[in-house]
Formats: sequence, C-alpha cells, structure tokens
Amino acid sequence: MTIGCEGYQLSRRAMLGATGASLLGMSIPRLIAAAGKDHAAKCENVILFWNGGGMTHIDTWDPKPGRPTAGEFQPIKTSASGVQISEIFPTLAKQMHHCALIRSIAGTQGDHGRATYQLQTSYLPGPNLVHPGVGSVVAHEMPNLGDLPAYITISGLAPRAGYLGQKCEAYFVPSPGDKDPYLAFPEGIAELRGNKRLETLAKFNKRFNGDSKDERLVSTQTSIDDAVRLMRSPALEAFELGKVNKSVIERYGDNPFGRGALLAKRLVEKGVRFVQINRGGFDVHTNAFPAMRDHGEVMDPALAALVADLAESGMLAKTMIVMLSEFGRTPKINKDEGRDHWASVFSCFIAGGGVRGGQVIGSSDEDGAEPKDRPVNVPDIHASICHALGIDATKEVMTPLKRPMKLVDKGEVVKELFA
Amino acid sequence: MRQFACWGLALLVVCFATPLSASELDKIVERENKAAGIKLAAAPVVGDHVFLRRVFVDLIGRIPTEAEVREFASWPEQGRREKLIDKLIADERFADRWTIFYADMLRLRSNATGGPALIAYVHNAVKTGMPYDEMCRRLIYTNGKANKVPEAGFILGDDADPLAMASITSQVFMGVRIGCAQCHDHPFDVWKRRDFYDMAAYFGKTRRYESQLTRVVYATEADQNTILWPPEGSGPDADRKPIPAKFPFSLAAFEKQPQYLARLESVRKTKAEAKAKPLAKGPSVDDLLNDTADKVAKTASGKLPEAGVTAEAKADIRKIDPSAGGYRSSDLREQLAKQVTDPKNRYFSRALVNRAWKTLVGRGFVEPIDDFRQDNPAAHPQAMDYLADEFVASDYDLRTLVKLVVTSDAYQRDHAPEATEEAARHEMEVALLATPMRRMIAESLYDSVVTAGHLFEAKHSPGKNTKVLTEIVRVPKEGAGKPTELIKTAGTPAMAMEKKGAPASAGGSYALEDAIELDFTALLKAGEDEPEVDEMKVMSKEELEAQRMTQERMMRTKMEYIEKTVTRTIDDNPVFNTSLRMQSPAPEGHFLRVFGQPNRTDLGDLRDDSASMRQALMMLNGRVIHEAARVGDLEPIAKFVMGKDANPDEAVKFAYLEILTRKPTEEEVREGKEIIVAGATVSDGVADLRWILLNCNEFRFLP
Repeated sequence: MTIGCEGYQLSRRAMLGATGASLLGMSIPRLIAAAGKDHAAKCENVILFWNGGGMTHIDTWDPKPGRPTAGEFQPIKTSASGVQISEIFPTLAKQMHHCALIRSIAGTQGDHGRATYQLQTSYLPGPNLVHPGVGSVVAHEMPNLGDLPAYITISGLAPRAGYLGQKCEAYFVPSPGDKDPYLAFPEGIAELRGNKRLETLAKFNKRFNGDSKDERLVSTQTSIDDAVRLMRSPALEAFELGKVNKSVIERYGDNPFGRGALLAKRLVEKGVRFVQINRGGFDVHTNAFPAMRDHGEVMDPALAALVADLAESGMLAKTMIVMLSEFGRTPKINKDEGRDHWASVFSCFIAGGGVRGGQVIGSSDEDGAEPKDRPVNVPDIHASICHALGIDATKEVMTPLKRPMKLVDKGEVVKELFA
Repeated sequence: MRQFACWGLALLVVCFATPLSASELDKIVERENKAAGIKLAAAPVVGDHVFLRRVFVDLIGRIPTEAEVREFASWPEQGRREKLIDKLIADERFADRWTIFYADMLRLRSNATGGPALIAYVHNAVKTGMPYDEMCRRLIYTNGKANKVPEAGFILGDDADPLAMASITSQVFMGVRIGCAQCHDHPFDVWKRRDFYDMAAYFGKTRRYESQLTRVVYATEADQNTILWPPEGSGPDADRKPIPAKFPFSLAAFEKQPQYLARLESVRKTKAEAKAKPLAKGPSVDDLLNDTADKVAKTASGKLPEAGVTAEAKADIRKIDPSAGGYRSSDLREQLAKQVTDPKNRYFSRALVNRAWKTLVGRGFVEPIDDFRQDNPAAHPQAMDYLADEFVASDYDLRTLVKLVVTSDAYQRDHAPEATEEAARHEMEVALLATPMRRMIAESLYDSVVTAGHLFEAKHSPGKNTKVLTEIVRVPKEGAGKPTELIKTAGTPAMAMEKKGAPASAGGSYALEDAIELDFTALLKAGEDEPEVDEMKVMSKEELEAQRMTQERMMRTKMEYIEKTVTRTIDDNPVFNTSLRMQSPAPEGHFLRVFGQPNRTDLGDLRDDSASMRQALMMLNGRVIHEAARVGDLEPIAKFVMGKDANPDEAVKFAYLEILTRKPTEEEVREGKEIIVAGATVSDGVADLRWILLNCNEFRFLP
C-alpha cells in the first residue's frame, strides 16, 4: 500500500523548478498558493508549542485572583491594556500587545491520548483511520519554500500524517542545537568519498530501475535525492546554534526549550512552513506550583524573545505562534498540592500571522471551571490556523481507500482573532 | 519439555498432513483467470537463486549467507526448493519472523498492559506449532493477571473495553469491519448497529481491575452486563436494557460434511492419540467438594444439607481457571471463542489466509486485507477458499499454509517485465500472473543488513578497531544534593535507556538503530514477579530535563552540576542483535518505525511500504549500514581484501554473493574493481562497493 499525495508532489516539484530550486528560502519570491485562497492571507508559517500533559490554565493565561481556586501565583499587568496573566510570565507580559488569548476553549476529552489526538488533528480518534496533524495539513496544502522540510518537529514527535502520506510527516529534530548524525556522512567518510558513493549509487539504481515506472522503485531514488539535497543545503546552517551569538541564546534561555524556540525562528526564516516544539511535564497532579514556576522560568524568556524578535524583523505579521496543550487543570487544588485533568474550559495563546494582538477572546467563569461566554470548540482553533494561512479547512481530500475527509473536523474560524 | 514434545508433533503433522497440492492451487487460479477472461501471459517462475533469496527473507526474515547459498547449490536440483522450504520452516527464526506477522495482526505491543508476556506467548505458540484456532480461542476468552497469565494480555491491551473488543474481534480474526456499525448501520454492508451490540455483549461482563495498592492489572468477570440496547443517546435511558450476546456471523451450512472437515477431524484424532498418556490424576475439585459436602452434612446433623448451595459453589469453583490465579473466567467469551474459531466459520480461516497471502505474495485476495464485505469481493475467491480449507484441514497449521503458498507458481513468479505499462502491470499482479515488487519489511531489511555485514558477531579482532571518544558529561557539584549517575550532555542519545543493563554504545546518537533482544523464555515464566524488561523509550533532551526536574523537586533540593570533558579509548566492535526479537513496536523514530512498522495501537493500521526522506537519511548516513559495509578482519571476505592472497576480482564476486545473493556480471566485476581501486585502501574500496550494494534498490526489494 503506497500512500502518497501525488498531486501535491507534482505541484511542489513544479514550484521548485519554477524558482530554479533556489538554495536559500529567503531568496525565493513569495509564493502564493492559488488553490484554496479565499482571502488575502498574511500568514505563511506557523510555530506550534505543544505542552504535553495538560497545562493548567488558571496558573498561566487565566488567573483567578481571590478565589479559592487561584493557587499561589498572582496576576500581573501586561502591555495589553486590561489583560492580566500569571506572574510566571514577567517578560512575556511586556509583549502581550502582540498576542491574543482564548480563554473559553470548551474541550470534551479528559484523557491524554484522546485529547492529544483531538488538539493536534481536530478529529477524535476512531478505528481504521489515522487523521493527520494540522502541521501535515499545512505541509500538504502549501507549496514548499526552500529545501528544508516543510514540517519540522523539535524535542519530541509530532502527530502522524495519516491519510496524507509519508511525504507530509514531520521531520524530527530530537534535540535542538545538537548535530543530527543523519544529516552528514558517517564518521570517517570524507566529503569526496561520500559524494562518489552517492554518485555510483544513483547509477546502480538507475540501471536496476531501468524504464520501470513502478512508483515503488522510482520513489526510493527520489527520496535519496531529497535527502541529498537536504544534506547539501546551505539552509542547514539554520540548525547550527553553535554559531549564534551567546547573548542571543541566553536571551531565549540556554536550555532545550529556549534553543527550540530560537531554532524555530531560524527555521521559519528559511521557509519552513510549520515548526512544532514539544515540551513535557505539565501533568502536575502533585506539587503543581513549584513545577509551574520552573516551567515559567524556562518558557517566559523564550516566548518573549521569540515574539519580540519576530515583531522587530516584521516576520510576526506572517508567522503565527500558537501554544496548545491537551486540556486545562482542575480549579480545585488536590491534597497533593496538584491539579488534575480538566477539559471543560481551558486557554490558548496565539500571536502573529494576522492575529490582532492585545485581545482576549471569551472567558471562563469565576473559578475557571466552565466557559462563561464565547465558547470555542477545539476544531475552531485548527480552522483558524488554516484560515490565517489561506487554507480552506472544509476542503475534502481522499484517503487511500477513497473516503473523502475534510481537512478540519467541523471547525469554525474564530473571526475575532483577525478582526 | 512440553515445548519439545509439541514441536516434534508439529513437524510430524507438517510431514504427513501436507498433500503438497500447490499445483492444485495454480490450477484453480488459472481456471478463475480464464473465467474472468484474462488473456495476459504469465511471467515465468523465477530461477533458483532468485527463489532462494525471496524465500529466505519471507520465511526467516533475512537474506541467506554465502555458506547457505553454497549449501543450496550443492543439493541435487531435483526437489531442492522443497528441501529448502522444509529447512527454513523448521528454522528457529521462522518463529521469530512469523511472530511479527501475528504481532501486526493481533496488535501486540510490548508497552501495553500484559504485552511483553503476550508476545512471548505468541512466539511460543508459533515455535511449538500450536494450532491457530487454539491460540485464538485462548486469546479471546482468557482472563487473569497481566503478564502472569500471558493470554490475558489480549483483552487487557485494550483495557477490556467491550465496544473496542467487538470491533477488534471481528476485524482482526474475521476481517470484517463491523466497528463501522457502532455508530450507524454499515454503509456498504449487511451489518446493522444491533449486530455490533450483540457482538459487544460477549464482552459486557468482563472487567479490568487495577489494584490501587500494587498496580497489578487483571481481567475478570462480573455478573452485570454493561452492554445496553438501544445505544446511548438513541432513546430514553430508562428504556435501555442489557442485551444477550449473539454471534452475528453465520456459519457455513452443509448437507454433507465436506472433505476438509473430515480431514481436520482425522488430524485432530491422530494428534490426540500421539499425545503422551495422561498422568495419574489426583482428586478432582469435584471429589474434594463432595468430600466437604459430606462433612458439612454430618456436622450439621439434624439439618438437611443445602444441596442447591453446594451445587452452586461447585459450579463457581469450576469456573475458576487455576492458572489464572483465581480470577473468574468468561463463559460468554468462551462461547464467542468457540463460534469465531468454528471450522465452519469461513471468515476465520479466510481472514488468516488472506493475510498470509498478502505477506508472501504482496497482494491480498481481498484488499484491504481486513475489509471483507459483499461489495469488495476477493480477486480469486476459489483459490482463497482452497487455501482456507487446506489450512483448516491441517488443524490450522501455519507452517502447512506457508508451505502451500511458497511452493505455488503464483508465489514463485517473476515480476512483470520492466517495460510493462503501469495498467498492464497492475492487471498482471492482480491476476497473479506476476508478483509485485516488494520492499523487505523493516525487520527483514535490518536483519539482512546485519547478516550481510557480519554484525551479529564481532568482526574485528581485539585491538584492530579502537576509537577515541570524547564526551561531555554532567556530574553533580560536590556537596550539592545527592550524587546521581552521570548524565551525558553532548551527543546525547535520542533514546534513553531506562532500567537495567543498557549496553555502553560507542555511537550513542545512533540509538535509533539499536535492537535489544528480549528473552521470551523469561517473559513466559509464570508464578514469579512480573518480568523486568529492558525498555527503550524515546526521550528527548527536553523530556529528560523535565524528568530530572521532577526528580529534583521530589528531593526538594536544587542540584548543581558541572560539566566535565571525558576522553576514553574503546575497542569498538559493534554487534547488533536481531530486530525480530526486540521490543515491539519499536520506539517512534526508530529504524523499524521509519521503515513502516505499524504502531499497532490503531485498528486497521497496516504496514506502510512507501519511501521517505528519513529512510534515505538513515540508510545513507546510518550506523548499521556503515558498519556493515566496513571490512572486518574476521569476515570471510577479508581473505580477498587483506594480505598476500588479496584478489579484487574475488572480493567483488564475494560481495555480490553475500549482499545480493547472486554472481555479478562481467561488467559488474569490472565496475566493482574500479570502485575498489579508487579507494584509499583496498579495504576502503571494498567498503564503498558494499555500501553501494546495501543501499541500492536491488538489496531492499525482493527479487
């Protein structure tokens, strides 16, 4: 069974040809996908922070001062008038005029597996079908820019591409800043020798494949060509954080999350369409507050630096930053000073890519237990991401078994974001 | 000892139950093609060396060694293919390879509750030739404690969820996607919602329990059936009533018993007779109970013994499966297991035959292989039924089935000629007139590289391959918190080894290519604590960091670290284990997963054989291929590479034989020599040639 998105591949390749397979993403003139554009979309790239475990909403984006559920953090003022967030984000607070919050996501799934699936794909899991993550949808729908993979995941794995096929899977960077051994010849194989090997290999494959049009044979050499193009690409320098000024790294935080955020910025600058940065440890059933303080220490400088840098370079206008998690956490603090799973209402952080900064959409009730106004369904987030990119979320694609599937499961665009 | 006895028995059965009627199969295929008006010519049956490679990979999951090629060549031509098949079917690795087949089908997962013992159990079932129907029955009905009762892992793997189990049982064992009828009547088939719920009711009394104290998980039986009709949301809740279980699939009805069922009975009878005489039995539970009842009656003199109560207690005790450790067994699922595996249930035998056919020939009679329905007919229904009936007649013997398939012309045919147009090629493949190009499955590809590169054992003499390693390690600052183990920071493995016995590896960052062998025997030892399993888990730096932070918080102290650079010299003699026996599915990002090993969580998630850039990167720059290509002085090819007898001609021929199972053409010898001469040393040149051969399409696609 060969799953593929052939039509997409053609257009992608044609696009590359048209731009002379330019080596630097930045040098490519902006390409606008003709298909599916229903408005003049500004957004071209997405950076998704995935906080695994279910991040508490009350201790981050939706403080409830004075309530028994408040926990130990105080709210602080931000650069967005009237918007307060938790004290664990002091630096980010100064960038909130660029950022929006949704405080009324009405989730339905309290189980890690099912919620992760829904928050990452917009669909609920079911038998016999693997739904693609939103990053795969973007890689499928938008033409590639440059020769880095369109979709990259850092410090953890991204959802699968499902019926969109292997080509739309995320490229995996286990550890930002570390050398990926698979992007260079094995130890002891010099450039000249390695290149000679590749050249001879191509000759052998050509002879073996002959005139065969069998996709199974042809695609192997194509995948080798893709790999070699990546190995030789000057854009790979984006991965090399060792050459970045130390003060820049320190501003983001010299830790995997900070380096991940910095790497994400460098990757979107090279034309990568969708970057996912993973962080775990949010499942705070015990000792929630010291844990969240630690998370804040790491996340605050990185997010703030990323927003500020993208805003300064003008990239923020076409780069959307989203932070998602499975669900929120119980307003009630349990006997172990922790909070448990809570899907009824939670928040999300979203900035750039056409999103109007400084606003809060929806609200939860006084304890952060239920949506109070403007409930937002989970797939609405995905529909909004697609909308920003000019992707028609209601478009249907065929699964390999010829079952039509919408890109996003019944989501409605949160229009206020872009108003 | 039991194992050996059964093993002998299995072989015996193979020998006399196989009527070797492969030609019969080919005749049926021909007849069906003729009836369908197919006029294309068939591709010829492949030559011996091609057959050799194909059947090695399919049956034992690796290419043949040079010694095995020579052994085959030394046998008289007449009958040597069959001789080879018999040899491979008896090989230890046959059980390893076909455990993977079942693991994909049954969705066996090392990381599921009871998963490790379940995989070991299935492996043992394949090894000892346990009839397929018996294995399935045990998986369907067994309750008990995770890992202690291996078969219970099947129901525990899906948390004993009745609705999930209804879908799984029909789709996995019978190839019917009745799961679609959970929410609506099946759009393309006869299945109604009620059928789905009837099926689910077999699981309605099964419960999964987890001890809050010990975290022991087990499956047992309750009195209450949780499956209610009508389904949730389709009426007032008060109207919803438990429904009795009912098997929605109809069994074949015959006026006269067909021959294959008569043969099945005769094989079963022979096996029963061959079994060792039963041991003298101790008193039965009933005897003990009768005894007790007598005593009770006597003690309570003047009162009538409560016969009804005793009878009930007896019945209860009989339900207890002693090996399950006292958990109640499931009458309902026992009924279900009987129905599913009934020799007259043709879905059951067809589904397995279809999967085996897909595995060996590259295309199922029915595609997708687990979607049998009225408007998705088999391409060759009679050929499929012929195999299904033979399979039943052999007492559900996998080896018999595999042998029937691989001895057929349909299996042994060549691919469509290179110049064939796509549509014609497709037509030939569907009509079984040519075999599709098949890439080796991930595990076979890995093991074939290791075989060709002599990496199952050390191939460098001690001291011949030393390496200097420089690593930055993080050690706790003195006096700050409790000292813990060293934490590597540079060249951090993408995969951290948890628990015991992680072997130190020179190429830590290549951990995505490691295979750690599981000890199936240890996993099966009952009555002991749960076996410890080396568990590999992909952990990013981020996760490791989070884990460290959590640990620190537990200790309520911040640890301070300093980084130290450590240099050490190691004697690098990389050895790789078989990937057929490693934890499965492998962690995400592992070589096996990148090459299409399914995650086995999602129902209907089949092997993906498409190519990807990640695959290319792992092959071009990975460690296994690199080490396999390098020449070790202990390898047989070394004699043509090093020393006074060095002979590039012979080296090229040897490399082709070891890697591609064939002789090179004259042109290829000349070209190979050029590659060798271009190397800085002969050894480097040979490594270059071998690297190319291991990477080329001819290696990964079966001939």
